[in-house]
Amino acid sequence: MYGGGNIFEATKFDNLTQEDPVKLDEFEARIARGEKIEPSDWMPALYRKQLIRMIEQHANSEIIGALPEGTWITRAPGFKRKMALMAKVQDEVGHAQLLYSAAETLGKSREQMMQDLINGRSKYSNIFNYPAFTWADSTIISWLVDAGAIVNQLANSKGSYGPYCRALERICAEESFHLKYGHHAVIHLATGSKIQREMVQDALNRWWPPMMHFFGPPDRISVHTEVLTKWKVKMATNDECRQQFLDMYVPKIWELELTVPDPNLKKNEQTRQWEYTEPDWEEFIRVINGDGPCNKERLAVRRNAEERGRWVRQALLTPEAKYVTPLA
Amino acid sequence: MIVMAFESLDPRIKRWNLSLQRNEEYQSADLDQLPTYEVFLQMRDGKAYEHAGIVHAATADMAFVFAKEQFSRRYTCTGMWVVLSERVWVTDCMELEENVYDHIVDTSINADGPQEEYEIFHLMKRGKQHKHAGTVGTTGHQQAILQAKTQFDDGTPVLNIWTAKKADISATDAEDQVIWSTLKDKTHREVISYRAGDRLKAFKERQNG
Repeated sequence: MYGGGNIFEATKFDNLTQEDPVKLDEFEARIARGEKIEPSDWMPALYRKQLIRMIEQHANSEIIGALPEGTWITRAPGFKRKMALMAKVQDEVGHAQLLYSAAETLGKSREQMMQDLINGRSKYSNIFNYPAFTWADSTIISWLVDAGAIVNQLANSKGSYGPYCRALERICAEESFHLKYGHHAVIHLATGSKIQREMVQDALNRWWPPMMHFFGPPDRISVHTEVLTKWKVKMATNDECRQQFLDMYVPKIWELELTVPDPNLKKNEQTRQWEYTEPDWEEFIRVINGDGPCNKERLAVRRNAEERGRWVRQALLTPEAKYVTPLA
Repeated sequence: MIVMAFESLDPRIKRWNLSLQRNEEYQSADLDQLPTYEVFLQMRDGKAYEHAGIVHAATADMAFVFAKEQFSRRYTCTGMWVVLSERVWVTDCMELEENVYDHIVDTSINADGPQEEYEIFHLMKRGKQHKHAGTVGTTGHQQAILQAKTQFDDGTPVLNIWTAKKADISATDAEDQVIWSTLKDKTHREVISYRAGDRLKAFKERQNG
């Protein structure tokens, strides 16, 4: 999990005029040949900036995403579910570590990223600003949010930056258990008692709108990302990812005789595209800018962990130890 | 999602009575940024060690513990090496089809001094991980690469070389393999533990009949 649609800053193309045209040509030729970019290679400032932003957002989403699920470990029904959820949450925190490390090779330290996250200067996947009310919410997150993230991550793992691709390959290999575990837990509820079915239907109703937001605004209102596509930073459009997700998971939801809370959702057999009610993008913008039900508490918990962990870091310090940017 | 005002569902908020208002900027201490260690894994006996990634840690011992958890938690392996990033010596990265060894010339650096073992790692393709090529006994990193050129350069283009002094690497030995022995009990981390096809089939039959 958990990388959702990325929000790119408006791209100023005149930035590129300041780049060395010969080096820029070589860089673009390398990407066009399908070669990866490694940390020691020359790269345009815009490429470095957008990659840091994207990988950092992804890493933030992993540790913040572990919070709503993590609170359900102690309340998970039964030992097996507790063990599974604990292993999953541990994986997510491990993924954050892999991704922060990949971002560090571009020159921003993990500590700086942590500080920017806590101070609200960087983003994470908007979906984690919503609360997980019941156990069923936790199973829907494990299944559908992870499923959405896999769609995104598989696309990004074919991108151009070596360290990010390596981290994503490792992450995707670990994700398959999350998806199966989530599906298993949802099937268990959906095929269970009447109350269990109601619980999981309620959770699906709550999570569907944020799930439709998950891949980011539609391409027609997204910022221009042509150059990021050419540089293989952005590997699939938000709408392509959303369509792929709907194609793979709506039939699995219907198979459980659950209802997707969108009366307009259907596949147009002529265009082969899913049609749906456009989610409320104003809400998306409002929540991502800090005004969601859980934004403040997510950051408060993260800050608390940093502050309470400080004495451990102090106790372990070796004053002669020096930080250098990691190699790959 | 329409969410009414609710009390936080995160027990940490209540337990520690955390304030949701951000009063002052969070400022981390300079030394919170711990140094990084490069981690190499051997996936099976007899296979070459391969770079897996990095961990941040205050000491080599902590790095070793974190590396075991970070990189060999889900899939078992037979060996692990951990070395401070700063102690790894790195050559330039070559262009496609260019061999870094072709650029290594004997600069006649004073090669006196005690003989020590150095591990040599090759990157064969961009996007892949560095792989252990072998060990050389010599007096320094540059000499190690000269040695490696005579021993491990078969003309196949090597894009980039890392060298690390063996004495700088924390390594597992055969006895340490016991640290991975509990992995096979952790089937709750495996896809195979989550088969639900029968339950789904029975459900569909109930619904249809």
